[in-house]
Amino acid sequence: MLSHLFKLIWNKKGAHSLLIIEIWASFMVLFGVLSLIVYNVRNYLQPVGFEYEHVWNLDLASNQDTLEVAAKLERALQRVKAYPEVESVSRMSSNTPFSANQMGNSVTYNKVEVGADFYSTDGELSKTLDLKMLKGRWYQESDRVSKFVPIVINKAMEDKLFLDEAAIGKVIKVDDKKSFKVVGVVDKFKSRGEFMSDEPAVFELLAKDDVWNANMLIKTKPGTDANFEAKLVKEIAVMLPGWGIEVSYLTESRKNRQNLTLVPVLIFLIVSGFLLTNVALGLFGILNLNISKRKNEIGLRRAMGATEGRVTTQFLGEIWVLASFSLLLGLIFALQFPMMNVFDLDSEVYIIAIFAAIVIIYLIVTLCAWFPSKQAARIHPALALHEE
Amino acid sequence: MIQNYIKIAWKVLLRHPFYTFITLFGISLTLTVLMVLTSFLDHLFGSHYPENKRNRSLYVGTVVQTDSSGTTTSSGPASFGFLVKHAKSLKSAEKVTIFSNFSFSNTYVDGKKIKLNTKYTDSEFWYVTGFEFLEGKPYNDTHIRNGDHVAVITDALRDQYFDTNGETVVGRNIEIENVIYKVIGVVKGSPPTRLYTYSDIYFPYTAPKSNYENKGMRGRFVAIVLAKDQSDMPAVQSEFDSNIARIPFKEIQDGQKYSVLIVKADKYFDHFLSTFARSDSQKVMFYTVASLILLMFMGLPAINLVNVNVSRILERASEIGVRKAFGAPSKALLWQFIIENIFITFIGGLFAIILSSIVISFINSSGWIAYADLTINIPVFAISIVVCLLFGFLSGVLPAFRMSKLKIVDALKA
Amino acid sequence: MIRLENVEKVYRTSSIETLALNNINLNVKKGEFVSIMGPSGCGKSTLLNIMGLLDAPSKGYIEIDGSRVEKYTDKNLAHLRNQKLGFIFQSFHLINDLSVIDNVEIPLLYRNSSAKERKELAQEALEKVGLSNRMKHFPKQLSGGQKQRVAIARAIVGKPEIILADEPTGNLDSVMGNEILNILQKLNEGGATIVMVTHDDAMAKKTHRLIRLFDGTQVF
Repeated sequence: MLSHLFKLIWNKKGAHSLLIIEIWASFMVLFGVLSLIVYNVRNYLQPVGFEYEHVWNLDLASNQDTLEVAAKLERALQRVKAYPEVESVSRMSSNTPFSANQMGNSVTYNKVEVGADFYSTDGELSKTLDLKMLKGRWYQESDRVSKFVPIVINKAMEDKLFLDEAAIGKVIKVDDKKSFKVVGVVDKFKSRGEFMSDEPAVFELLAKDDVWNANMLIKTKPGTDANFEAKLVKEIAVMLPGWGIEVSYLTESRKNRQNLTLVPVLIFLIVSGFLLTNVALGLFGILNLNISKRKNEIGLRRAMGATEGRVTTQFLGEIWVLASFSLLLGLIFALQFPMMNVFDLDSEVYIIAIFAAIVIIYLIVTLCAWFPSKQAARIHPALALHEE
Repeated sequence: MIQNYIKIAWKVLLRHPFYTFITLFGISLTLTVLMVLTSFLDHLFGSHYPENKRNRSLYVGTVVQTDSSGTTTSSGPASFGFLVKHAKSLKSAEKVTIFSNFSFSNTYVDGKKIKLNTKYTDSEFWYVTGFEFLEGKPYNDTHIRNGDHVAVITDALRDQYFDTNGETVVGRNIEIENVIYKVIGVVKGSPPTRLYTYSDIYFPYTAPKSNYENKGMRGRFVAIVLAKDQSDMPAVQSEFDSNIARIPFKEIQDGQKYSVLIVKADKYFDHFLSTFARSDSQKVMFYTVASLILLMFMGLPAINLVNVNVSRILERASEIGVRKAFGAPSKALLWQFIIENIFITFIGGLFAIILSSIVISFINSSGWIAYADLTINIPVFAISIVVCLLFGFLSGVLPAFRMSKLKIVDALKA
Repeated sequence: MIRLENVEKVYRTSSIETLALNNINLNVKKGEFVSIMGPSGCGKSTLLNIMGLLDAPSKGYIEIDGSRVEKYTDKNLAHLRNQKLGFIFQSFHLINDLSVIDNVEIPLLYRNSSAKERKELAQEALEKVGLSNRMKHFPKQLSGGQKQRVAIARAIVGKPEIILADEPTGNLDSVMGNEILNILQKLNEGGATIVMVTHDDAMAKKTHRLIRLFDGTQVF
């Protein structure tokens, strides 16, 4: 049966080559869009690893003020902490959760080099963001011993940098004057939101005299509203004349961050959805034409004893062989992505996308061939033969 | 002749409504997406309110510092002083404005928080941009010299912050971060996609917290250089380039390890492109990827149409045979089918224009982009026509070629 | 007017070779009315197609009105067909999407004549076949005989010197058939050279000369 189908297809290779190109192109488009979707969905399913519900981000800018900036920051921190509405507060570098800022750096341990996001924070962050400690504990000011700066890393970093070894207590040399000492491991920290993949992260204890990292994450008690915010801004502004003060809610930043990913994905999805509808309609039309052109072949087959079901299967089989051929062609291209590690994505993403694309293509061609072949098979043999 | 072709094309369309539907669906859909896309690109890059003079504006937005091998780079907006020295001094320009990149702030009214975009500008800003003043007027050099706490706000902020009761808000006060500013003008707001000029509130650069005093090359300011005429732009650019080239090496080093300084006065699109594609090879890459996507996007429906058309050749076989028998050269037939296709594409284009107007008015009214002003204007329309022609040609040429190559004897037999 | 010399036509598919015409030598003089007869499948339509430059012979030469055509390009052939030849087919081959007058105008479309000129000539041709009152009709609204008369009008509108008719009466009853033959005879009297394929002895007898084909070979 299969070789019979191949023969039929081969004899009309000219007409079929265009169909193959069309199915191939649809597969490529589907593969691209699905990779994007699979990548994002997989990330979305992983928790961000921290609590952001009642957390505000207070962004301070010293502007033209250069006198005792570190001391002023410390005073502001203590003032914020003193409010009864505030549960906890911690200083952080400007790459606060959901913000557009990034600080990347690489660390080397035992000749393994890993690029990671670096966050400078104080000893309170794990409380403010409810970070889940897997091993060890969050660092304290007392952990800073001479040139050792305490750090906390996330699980992804531990796996990548230390491979099978335990991270706690490990010392990573940065330069002659500075070394990191790992005191704890947290689970996940996807600071750029749900759609970020779980990337290595390093938290470093802020220096006491630090003047650059002027963001404060404030965890407020439930029910705190903008009135407190206005009061807070006003009092800080009085405390720090000439400084820039901006408050944003992490919940809002999260929404903005999400839209940044969702809007393009949605646009791609809509456009490719229409594109595929277009292809499906065209495919249906072409198959309809092709099948109706072969009415007397159908009549002949029916006269020779083929059942309705057999004729239907024959036409479906033909389009499946064609589709398989196109998909084979598409696979040659698509498989390059996981093999060459294009865009540094997990190869699993591509594999899932490939499988999903294959299933969808088969579904589309089957749907498009089903109706015309069913209709053709129902033709009475005498009638079909008569039309010639 | 053409009349004859179109007559036939029309009849063919009416003969099989289903295939006509497939054809028109594909064409109008593809063209709709392309039209909305061009309209959106025009919205992003064309000259629109308030940057009405964008077609003769040059943007100095980023200072790039790098070492000679280009391995480490650092880039960002310039400092106020840097721009005053090298941009404001341009003799060939009509006007130059310096203003801060967007920054954020909040203000509070009745326990409600209003998120704000803030911007510090000079007085030329109001000349270079075409903001429409609904109330009051812009601040001038005197305000700037005195460091007055005055502000120009948008109509959206006015409606959020003040109880207007139909009265003007000029002269009333607005408090931001504990500083009280007097409103002296209200402008019609602009869409946030006008990245450089969009803001909710504008201050003179001498107002508090603008940091215009900062030293060094990098800061938070950008400049727009307005040329007298579009044809003047290359001259302005070269004057700016020579200004930059004159910066002494010591100043470039800036106490850092960087030895190379790249600052350009670019047209808006070039400027935009250079923010994520710095080198020429990256630009080539960008254009390749963009055209590949476009090709895929136009190619798939085109292949689809070609397929449908080719499958339908037999329907027209007798006609082709007769025409050939009576002396139609292959070329005449080729043109006949191409013209037919272009005709059909134009019908699809007509639907596409209607559809895209609906989509565009939906985008404009959805609030997805505040103050969105997407339009199907003449450039968008012209591009659409060109795309129509291209698409008709693309999807028509192969079937036409097949048809014209059909053997007469076979065609008459079918 | 038409000269065929050692013409041979072979159809090839991947495995089978069929000899459709074998060594045909023929000379149709100006003003002659020739009919070709033979059993079905003997190659008479192939012969007519070759004479009408619709198909190329595998071997041999063709001369139309003194010009040898074996080196002609597609464009030259098209031009020659357009100027010198008119075709009439058994199944009419009218374009259903065009009105009667538009159908008749087709040969003139490829001649750069003006719209006015085309219309006048088409009207004239339709008058000759007695259909000037049906100009705005569409082929579907016509009977078989009327359709064939439209086809004749189309064949003569360009005033060709040669008319080639492939079983013009094959799809018509005898009354209609005689009517068509009368028109052809009249055209012949007007100076046209006509070659007609037929399987009707009575029709063939009314022509000047009869060529019989059997299995691709000319038999006298």
